[in-house]
Amino acid sequence: MPLSNDIKVSIYRHMYAAERWEATLLRLIEQGLVSGLYHAGRGHEGCEVGAVTALVQDDYLFYDHRGCGHLIAKGADMAELFGDFLGNELGSTRGLGAGIVHVCDPAKGIMGQSGTLGRGQLLATGAALGAKLRGTTQVAMHFFGDGSSNLGTFHESCNVASAWKLPVIFVVQNNGWAVSVPIEYSTAGGGIARRADAYAMPGVVVDGTDPFAVHEAAATAVARARRGEGPTLIEAKLARMRGHFEGDPDNYRTKQTDTQNDPLVKTRRRLLDENVIDEPQLTQLESAVKESIQAALESARRGKLPDRSRIFEGLYV
Amino acid sequence: MSELTTTSARSITIGAAIREALAEEMRRDERVFVMGEDVAKFGGVFGATRGLFEEFGPKRIFDTPISEMFIVGGGVGAALTGMRPVVELQFADFLMNAADEIMAKMGKWRYMHGGRLTVPMVVRMPAGAMGGVGAEHSQCPEAMLLQAPGIYIVIPSTPYDAKGLLKTSIRDDNPVCFFEHKGMYQVTGDVPDEEYTIPLGVADVKREGADVSVITWGRMVHVALKAAGEAAKQGIDVEVVDLRCLRPLDVDAILHTVRKTGRLIVCHEASKTGGAGAEIAAIVAEHALDALSAPIRRVCGPDVPVPQSQYLERLWLPGSKDLLAAIQEMVK
Repeated sequence: MPLSNDIKVSIYRHMYAAERWEATLLRLIEQGLVSGLYHAGRGHEGCEVGAVTALVQDDYLFYDHRGCGHLIAKGADMAELFGDFLGNELGSTRGLGAGIVHVCDPAKGIMGQSGTLGRGQLLATGAALGAKLRGTTQVAMHFFGDGSSNLGTFHESCNVASAWKLPVIFVVQNNGWAVSVPIEYSTAGGGIARRADAYAMPGVVVDGTDPFAVHEAAATAVARARRGEGPTLIEAKLARMRGHFEGDPDNYRTKQTDTQNDPLVKTRRRLLDENVIDEPQLTQLESAVKESIQAALESARRGKLPDRSRIFEGLYV
Repeated sequence: MSELTTTSARSITIGAAIREALAEEMRRDERVFVMGEDVAKFGGVFGATRGLFEEFGPKRIFDTPISEMFIVGGGVGAALTGMRPVVELQFADFLMNAADEIMAKMGKWRYMHGGRLTVPMVVRMPAGAMGGVGAEHSQCPEAMLLQAPGIYIVIPSTPYDAKGLLKTSIRDDNPVCFFEHKGMYQVTGDVPDEEYTIPLGVADVKREGADVSVITWGRMVHVALKAAGEAAKQGIDVEVVDLRCLRPLDVDAILHTVRKTGRLIVCHEASKTGGAGAEIAAIVAEHALDALSAPIRRVCGPDVPVPQSQYLERLWLPGSKDLLAAIQEMVK
C-alpha cells in the first residue's frame, strides 16, 4: 500500500525535529553543559523515524545510542530529552542520564537502552516473549548497528526469536563503521540481512537514507509479527555523518562531505518533487518544529541539577 | 501425603519444597512462568521442576535453547513487560556466561532508567560441589554478586527456608538470585501444610550458643551444626547463624551474635579469598571489633578450582572437622 501524504509529512517532521533537536544539543555540548559522550545521529534519522512510525504507542522500543530520532518518533518529550542530557531533574530519569542517555517512558513503550552492545537484542526478544505470553498483539522493535551484529547475543536472540516466532523486529543500522573499524574488515558473510536465512526469518535490505522505504519494510515486519509469524531482520544501509561520538577525531576515514546520503536533504527534496507538500507549507512546518524545540530547551534549562540523594534513589522497589 | 494425616507439617526434601513453592506461586499468579534448559518435560537436571509441566503446560514452563544470555536477558525483557519470570541457569557457574545480563541488565536496568521500570524476576542457580561435575560446574559464586547492587542474594539451607524464601523471592518486585545447593536437594526437613513465606534479609539462628559464633549459609549450615554438636561434647557452646540472604544482609544479626559470644568464625563453601566471609569480617571489624576476644577466623573452600575427581572433591570441601578444629583453637 503506498504511503499516504500525511505519513510522509509526519515522517519528515520527526526527522527534521531529530536533526534540529540534535543541532541544538550540539550547541549545549560546545557550551560544556552536557556530561558524557553523545553519539550523533546525523544520517540515521530517516531510518529511525521511518521504522518507528510503523509502531503504535504500546509497542516496545529498545533504542540504540545513535542519535534520538527513534525516541522522538516514539513520542519522547523533547524537554525531558534535553533534561536527560543536561542531567537535570526535568529529564525522564530525573537527573541520572547524560551522554548515552537511558531515556525511559513506559507509557509510550520507551523501554530503555543497553549501554553494553548487543544486550538490547536479548531484552527486546524477551519483551516480545512477554507480549506473546500475555496474548497481546504488541511487538518489540530493537535498533542496533552493524558492529553489534557481531556479538553472540545476536545469535542467541535471532535463534530464539525465530524458533519461537516472537513478535520482534531487529533493525540493523548498517553505517559501515564499528567506531573506527570498517565492516569489510570485521564482518564475514557479505551483509547482515543474509544471516536471516540461517534463522529462517525474512532478511530485508533497505536504503536507510530513504525513510519511506524503511517505513514500508518495518510496516511489513510489524504486520507479520502481529500475525504471530515471527521476527524480521531489517538491514538499513546508511552513512554515519559525524564521528562515532562527539569528540571523536574521526581521522580513520575520509571526510564525510557527501550530502547525497543525507536523508533529510533527500527527503525534503522528494516531498517537493512529488508534490506532497509545497515550499511555503514545508517552511511553516519547519518553523513550528524549531519553535517547539526552542520551547523545549527553555523549559528544560529551568531544571535543577539533582543533589547527592538522587544517587541512592530508584535502585530497589 | 496421606489424607488421614492430621499433623500440620510433613517432612519433605528441599527439591520438593522448591517444586511446591513454584507450583503454589504459579497457581497464585498467572504472570509467573518458568524457563531454562531442560526444565519442562525433563523436569530439570536436578529434578527441581519435575511435574510442573504436567500441571501448567507449555505456556507456563518451557525449555530454552542452550543460551544463557537469552535465559537471563530474555527474562529481563519479559519482566519489563509485566511478567514474573523464574528462570533457571542449569549451574550457578553459568553466572559468568550471563554476567552482563545478571549484573548489568537485571540489576541495573531499573536504576539506569530512573526507577521507572521494574524487573521482578528470579534466577534459580544450582550451586556447589557435588558428584564430581568439575571445576566449571561446582562453584558457589554468590560473592561475585556482592558487587552487583540491585540484586538480592538468597541461599536457603533447609526445606522450610527454601520454600518460604522462594515464594517471597517470586513475589518481590526486585530481581533475586536464588542459590540451591546441588548436594542438598535430597535434604529433608519439616514444612508446614499451611501456606507461609519468609521475609528476605532475616537471618535465622539455627543453634543457640554462648562461646563461639559460626556465621554461615547454604550447605555449610549443616556442616556447622555437626561441628557444633561435636564441640558441645567437649563443653564448647557454639551458636550457628544461618544468614539465608547476603542481600539484604542482616547486619543486626551478625553484630548481635558477635557481641554475644565475642568469637566469630565465618564458614562458606566458596573459596576463601574474596568470598563473602571477607565482607562479613570487615563489617564486624568496623562495628564490633571491641566485642571480639579472639581474631576472626574463616573456614572456607581452598583457593584452587574444585577438582573433577569425586575423591579429591571430598577433600576439597571444607568439613565439620576443619570447622571443629578452628572452634577448638579459638576457645583455647
